[in-house]
Amino acid sequence: MAKKKISKKYKNSEETPHDNLDNEPYEFTPVDRKRALALIGSAVGAGLLSTVVARFIPSPSVPHGNVTIHKLPPITPTGVETDVLIRMQNELRKALAKPMEERRWLMVIDTRKCVGCHACTVACMAENKLPPGVVYRPVITEHKGSYPRQVVRFFPRPCMQCDNPSCVSVCPVRATWKRPDGVVIIDYDKCIGCRYCLTACPYGARTSDFGNYYTEHTPQIQPYEQLESFEYNKAWNRKNHDSPVGNARKCHFCLHRIEQGLLPQCVTTCIGRANYFGDANDAKSLVAEMARSSNQVRLLEEKGTKPAVIYLI
Amino acid sequence: MGEKKLSRRDLFKETSEVLLGGGILASIMSMNGCSTTGAILESSRPDTPSPLNQPENIIYSVCLNCNTGCGIKVKIQDGVAVKIDGNPYNPFNMVPNIPMERTITEAAQIDAGLCPKGQAGIQTAYDPYRIKKVLKRDGPRGSNKWKSIPFEVAVKEIVEGGKLFAHVPGEENRYVEGLRSIMSLKDPDIAKKMADDIHAYWDEKDAKKKKSMLQEFKTKYKDHLNTLIDPDHPDLGPKNNQLVIAWGRLKGGRSDFIKRFGNAFGTTNLHGHTTVCQGSLYFTCKAISEQYVDGKFKDGKKFYWQTDLEHARYVLFVGANLFEANYGPTNRTVRLMHNLASGKTKIAVADPRFSKLASKAHKWLPVKPGEDAALALAVIRWLIDNEKYDKKFLSCANKAAAKLSKEKSWSNATWLVEIKDGKPGKFIRGAGNTIGALVNGTLTFFDPNSEQNAVFADLFVDQNVMYNGTQIHVKSSLQLLKDSAYQNTFMQWCTIAGVDPYDVEEVCRELTSYGKQASVDIHRGVAQHTNGFYNVLAWMSVNILLGNIDWKGGLVSASTYSYDGKKGGVFDLTKVKDTIEPFGISSIRHGIAYEKTSIFQGYPAKRNWYPLSSDVYEEIIPSIGDGYPYPVKALILYMGTPAYALPAGHTNIEVLSDVSKLPLFIANDITIGTSSMYADYIFPDLSYLERWEFQGSHPNMPSKVQPVRQPSIAPIPDMVTVYGEKMPISLEAMLMAFAKELGLKAYGPDALGPGLHINCPEEFYLRGVVNIAVGDAPGKEVADADEQEEAIFVRARRHLPKEVFDAHKWKAICGPYWPKVVHVLNRGGRFEDHSHIYDGDHLKNAYARLLNIYQEKTAGNKYSGNGKPMPGIATYMLQQNFKGQTLESLEKGYDLHLITNRTITQTKSRTTTNYWLKPIMSENGIIINSLDAQRLGIGPGDQVKVISATNPKGEWDLKNGTRIPMIGKVIITEDIRPGVISFVLGFGHWATGAYDIIIDGKTIKGDKQRRTGIHANAAMWTDPALRNTTCLIDPVGGSVSFYDTKVRLVKV
Repeated sequence: MAKKKISKKYKNSEETPHDNLDNEPYEFTPVDRKRALALIGSAVGAGLLSTVVARFIPSPSVPHGNVTIHKLPPITPTGVETDVLIRMQNELRKALAKPMEERRWLMVIDTRKCVGCHACTVACMAENKLPPGVVYRPVITEHKGSYPRQVVRFFPRPCMQCDNPSCVSVCPVRATWKRPDGVVIIDYDKCIGCRYCLTACPYGARTSDFGNYYTEHTPQIQPYEQLESFEYNKAWNRKNHDSPVGNARKCHFCLHRIEQGLLPQCVTTCIGRANYFGDANDAKSLVAEMARSSNQVRLLEEKGTKPAVIYLI
Repeated sequence: MGEKKLSRRDLFKETSEVLLGGGILASIMSMNGCSTTGAILESSRPDTPSPLNQPENIIYSVCLNCNTGCGIKVKIQDGVAVKIDGNPYNPFNMVPNIPMERTITEAAQIDAGLCPKGQAGIQTAYDPYRIKKVLKRDGPRGSNKWKSIPFEVAVKEIVEGGKLFAHVPGEENRYVEGLRSIMSLKDPDIAKKMADDIHAYWDEKDAKKKKSMLQEFKTKYKDHLNTLIDPDHPDLGPKNNQLVIAWGRLKGGRSDFIKRFGNAFGTTNLHGHTTVCQGSLYFTCKAISEQYVDGKFKDGKKFYWQTDLEHARYVLFVGANLFEANYGPTNRTVRLMHNLASGKTKIAVADPRFSKLASKAHKWLPVKPGEDAALALAVIRWLIDNEKYDKKFLSCANKAAAKLSKEKSWSNATWLVEIKDGKPGKFIRGAGNTIGALVNGTLTFFDPNSEQNAVFADLFVDQNVMYNGTQIHVKSSLQLLKDSAYQNTFMQWCTIAGVDPYDVEEVCRELTSYGKQASVDIHRGVAQHTNGFYNVLAWMSVNILLGNIDWKGGLVSASTYSYDGKKGGVFDLTKVKDTIEPFGISSIRHGIAYEKTSIFQGYPAKRNWYPLSSDVYEEIIPSIGDGYPYPVKALILYMGTPAYALPAGHTNIEVLSDVSKLPLFIANDITIGTSSMYADYIFPDLSYLERWEFQGSHPNMPSKVQPVRQPSIAPIPDMVTVYGEKMPISLEAMLMAFAKELGLKAYGPDALGPGLHINCPEEFYLRGVVNIAVGDAPGKEVADADEQEEAIFVRARRHLPKEVFDAHKWKAICGPYWPKVVHVLNRGGRFEDHSHIYDGDHLKNAYARLLNIYQEKTAGNKYSGNGKPMPGIATYMLQQNFKGQTLESLEKGYDLHLITNRTITQTKSRTTTNYWLKPIMSENGIIINSLDAQRLGIGPGDQVKVISATNPKGEWDLKNGTRIPMIGKVIITEDIRPGVISFVLGFGHWATGAYDIIIDGKTIKGDKQRRTGIHANAAMWTDPALRNTTCLIDPVGGSVSFYDTKVRLVKV
């Protein structure tokens, strides 16, 4: 797999993935989104533009090496029995002590433990201050059979963080890419809101931010919707219709939380503890153990996207 | 309703003084150090780490978006609560919870589980339709026209009365009696004496004597007769009883605050809402837990048991919606799911709906609604037929025997009941209130509470014995249960319940294959029927037969650290100076038998009496409408909406909208709600993120806990001054101001003793926290917070105004206990260490008392609708009206059985304000099986109207000119029993921001998102035997009937 190659190659090496992806270290200049959008005009124009623009826009630089190492103290376990959240958080902290290119974030969802409560959906909305129309992690309910012998199952659907992500290659401005740690991210400052990626994703994991507010039909839009969000460890203030308004948005495994030694919100809030999360490269981690289960499936594997989220059924 | 169109901006300007809309929250916090490391994203945008997991940005509190009350971490950004997560110290959120000794710096890094409603609680607090000022009605009741008035003016008007609504057409000359005049009896000594005499009157059995006692009473109190509601019926109590205080969701602390007012005012009418939830579950378990003291049964606890899911091996859930409600998803799901996935635990589910819980079960029994007792009796019959009951446990006749058998509790299975005319009566007693049982065939009298002399007795007894020189027929309690279960065969019971006997048999086999770690866990699906009490009793009898109570993995009951200081705390918060001892028949006629009172007039009584239950929500307002047992002059309603929550809640609107039936109606609410919209005055309240409360625990929690709710965000309502202290308008401010104006000593200077004032709410609640921190015995106190913790504590409250948080003032209130208070508040309460909750194979916090299979006390009471005795044993009953008649006449022509269900995103009336929950379910509908839909020619998405025999028009009449038809879209599914339809509670609102309102002449537009879907409660049957003034009731346990109505769907 592509990612493993990268991490292998740069292990104990002065070379950087950044050099690999681009010949010259690239100093980012924000693309004028409004101008770019005006240029696009039509879908046909956009298609043309995507090839033209992509040719001139260098690949993003990816942080790596020492700057990505975080030495965080472990959480004290509660004794013989410990909530899996604490075990996984400690495994996450252990992984953070390695350079980013040596860890690979993985999510395993045990559908037998999912009760379709949507705590993850809402926790994610709150954590990332998502506006109406943007949901990173819906939970899909599947009904089968007929009375009185039926089956109901629940499938939370985060971004699959595909190893062969169809959303990345279609981006005309290289605003989205896959990190060596496995997470596919979007730089809102680069995204021009063309929505190619929305169509390209077979999972419907990307949605557009139209700049709405939940309380906009009430006497006053509330501050909790307008305050800065901290995705990707940056402050995003949507008040003046700035990014991420107008951008494509998707789940990023709460990288800004991981960076602080915290598990993704959907994992911590899950009342059934149905999510396993951690470093796939740590064979002893709980997530790696669960990823070895025989009762696993991945969604729409036939699409060739190589989804990285595993479901246990 | 709108008169002119306003833009949102205009509206904001206009309404800012009254609603939260205009509140701009202070931005105090500056962003913490920015770095440009680009650890995730290299760009010119500087790195800004999220500040939300730093301890100084977190306040630990307790959720109340449903009554589970899980622990929460309220995360503050720029002075605003933006994120709520689970509290890792609290065992409702994390298993095992982290010990109290862990630092808050570490805890800040651990986010624990929390359900979606808990996450969305921010939107309850920051609801743009929150009210900030006192509103007074500016049109007829329910007209949605209001004017804002100063707090002090409202208090004065309510206390003094007068022609308060002369500005409303039709009420020009209506004189409203104020609280001062209603509080007629003001002498504490007289009140105490009268109360004693009334109790003596009720206890007297001789009719002649009773009559003369009434005469004597009149003579004795001739100078005070004007203080009574009716001198000819002094047991109605003083006129003070004509003030009723009722509530929906009320928790510890605030309950005591209200009780203080009630005791100082001298009204006996403080009523909760238990019966709309699962009253009959509480009151059946109260009857099961009555203790035998001095020859009588007393001290039963209003409580119940649920399963200890952490260690259960097999659970049969009946009418329990574990993943969506049911005390509650966060705490129970985490304990169950790992065990289910690993195969350690197996579950079965009996429910007419294939719930999310059923989707994880090995067996689903789609029981017919209301036939729960039939299914339970099938199980009982199987247990007895196959001798699979716990013989050893059941043979323990007293405490000593239980001890020898390593049991903590014991039952009356073996106790002998005298049978007269074929009917069971009392247990046979020997000298010194001993009880009779057969020991190896020999009649033996023993002390049931003895810890020394163990008595193991014969289980099944049905014979004559010599008793006091005569032959009498006796049966053991267990025999009575057997007789009840043997009225039908196992197959017949299964047929009645509508379930496959092979499935039931498999469940029975499983239930008896795991020893003490198997149980039946029931909830409101069982309780909310006219036969609720006996349904619950039947299932709890199964648990007693399994002998699982107090065992690890068996049945558990709640355990809490006490806050009120009544039993040895530092501060006794229950003491009230100059109490006017409340006495007399309550307005809902509870806690007393009809026959004992002076208003007994044969059967049927005008309305039902509830000798075994309390907090009968469906009686509060309809009784006011009937003026029975006496007219009510004023109602204060706190955090409740009976009109929305009750079955046939429209019956309540009829009374609330009628000033001749209810002259003065005061509501305390955070918005203008579906019942408070009928009030004369609405006092704004604090949401649960702004106030104090002691949440307590729930029956499934083995750990001893006391979660503390505390102010986490700046208050939304305006500030006012009471007792010289500034505070936000709230329940507390309102009651304190009433008390001050009336001269009551419930609050104010020296209210808790010399130097112990209650001049502000903190002086009350912080002392409760002291009691929790100190614990119930020396050596049980929590650790002291160190200086660093205290500094974080203060800094975490920097966004709170001085009126709400003042470190110096708080410190002074707590005195030497301050570091312990900080320790508790920094953790959101006090929680037992997980390693302490089991004692070998037992639960440490055990029930450890007598369990009644046969209930002598219950059997001694009569139905007030027909004078027949109440059965004392688990009994199969048909659905009935108040007079005990069956309901066929209402069924004819109505082919579908209407039930309701909860979804995790809604808590009935109050979560429509939570917008984050809307994308998950934006509206509800009528859930119907595909077979029924086909039969009726209904397709997906069709709109249908719900009609019933008692609401043939199928509509809500809001009594303000608006009628809302009960129309909803059809949701066709396989996941419900054919013949049964359901709808999710929490939609179809007619207030709480759903419709336009006028305040001070300005229209505030409602938000359409809040009125989506259908609320079909008005289709639920009213009781013709009660003149259709209320829904059908369980006359014994008090529950409302939620699941007994037959309806028809009319395609629209």
